[in-house]
Amino acid sequence: MHIALWQILLLSAYAFIAQPDALSLQLSIGFPLMSGFFTGLVLGNVQMGLTVGATLQLMVLGVNTYGGATVPDFMSAAIMGTAFAIISGQDVEFAIGIALPIGLLLTQLDILTRMINVYFLHKAGRYADEGDADGVSRMNILGIIPWGLSRALPVFLGLYFGNEVVSAITNYLPQWLMGGLKVAGGILPAMGIAILMRYLPLKKFYPFMIIGFVLAAYLKMSLIGIALIGFAIAAAYLYLKNDLKAQSEGGDIDD
Amino acid sequence: MTEAQTGKKITKRDLVKVFWRNLLGLQLGWNYESMQGLGYCYSIIPALKKLYKTKEEMSKALKLHLQLFNTTPAMSHLIVGADIAIEEEYGLENEETISAIKTGMMGPFAGIGDTVFVAIYRSLVFSIASYMALQGNVIGALIPIIPAIAICWVRYEFTMLGYQQGRKIALDFASQLKELTEGASILGLTVIGGLAPTVVTANVPLVFKNGDVEFKLQEMLDTIMPSMVPVAIVLISYWLLGKKGFNSTKLIIFLLILGVVLYNLKILG
Repeated sequence: MHIALWQILLLSAYAFIAQPDALSLQLSIGFPLMSGFFTGLVLGNVQMGLTVGATLQLMVLGVNTYGGATVPDFMSAAIMGTAFAIISGQDVEFAIGIALPIGLLLTQLDILTRMINVYFLHKAGRYADEGDADGVSRMNILGIIPWGLSRALPVFLGLYFGNEVVSAITNYLPQWLMGGLKVAGGILPAMGIAILMRYLPLKKFYPFMIIGFVLAAYLKMSLIGIALIGFAIAAAYLYLKNDLKAQSEGGDIDD
Repeated sequence: MTEAQTGKKITKRDLVKVFWRNLLGLQLGWNYESMQGLGYCYSIIPALKKLYKTKEEMSKALKLHLQLFNTTPAMSHLIVGADIAIEEEYGLENEETISAIKTGMMGPFAGIGDTVFVAIYRSLVFSIASYMALQGNVIGALIPIIPAIAICWVRYEFTMLGYQQGRKIALDFASQLKELTEGASILGLTVIGGLAPTVVTANVPLVFKNGDVEFKLQEMLDTIMPSMVPVAIVLISYWLLGKKGFNSTKLIIFLLILGVVLYNLKILG
């Protein structure tokens, strides 16, 4: 399929607003789930976009810019992976296989942006010396430009030279590597899960994780069903805990 | 201290302005030197304009708030709100106190905020949404917008709460949030437990032949425990992340190499 200029521009514009959204409103425009879906919508293959976006989303589930740490840019990667697969008539695995290295490569632009913004901070410092609050405000707002371009530029260039990029990939990437990347795409969601396990109080509450696992693996329950059971357990836990606390406090008064 | 006796100078409108700036702008100027410092200063400017009328005062205040700041964006509203209440009462006479309160709050608040607004939020909203999307349901891609808007409302309430509670906020709110965090953690971990067998795919195509008898390794593994390979990979990833100097980018590269190696050894396919 041929990709039209208006489609390239539309996807680049999406990429431009995606990162500022991820930094502010967090309406989830900046996540691969939405960017993959949007790309599928624009290029006329929604199912492809949904699957690529959701797979990449699961990988970055727990990944976040904790303390400003840079993470792979799977938002842009989902756009390019989906687009390249649709352009060349390839399957979902191909899209994920090329999205992974793209996401890792784009990490560098995120670091560059955070460095460029130091310039705005220093200019804001000079405005602050003069007591010029509006000058400081302008410097903060200008930060949108490096953030937006860090995502929009690679998406634009990647899609503009899409055919060349895709044929280079398909010609030079050997089967052993492409096959391996497909397998890697299947196991990578493990990372998202592992990171979340690190951030939640696993040592204290691990039995509940086992319950979730048994419901899914043995009883084949859907995730929404599991979430409902999880909610019920959490509510019961808090209720019993408060009840016990009230009892022990009551006991103190009796003594 | 005549100013303190004349009553409040900050109006609700000022706080609403601060909320919007905080919501939209806290991280636009994120940089390696002061992190969210530029955004924090940007957020609080409507209040500064009300409080400090001379050029010298304004300059001093701007420089104070450009200093390093970093916390979970949703939690920052409580701190900004509290900061405004304190400055409205005491002005800038005690710069170090304001600085100390900000930096003292941002750490513990990030601890709670990253658990509630990132880890638990993502494990619930995005795992269910992605799961729906993988089944071909378009709603899956759009559903995260609804809780995102709810969080924006929470952030508005946090601005007001922070301002009303002022300095008390750090102690009181943290203890209230502890129980909620516990309950949410249980819910989050239950969902995560169900996630590994549903979304990690690892099939073992390996077949052993012994005379006429074939042993399919995947079937043997399934009789021991379903989803054994996905669980093993999750546990290995969890263990690796606990090692010093190991981060998510290194883990991605490790899993990429693992995938390529296992594919070419014909263990996974």
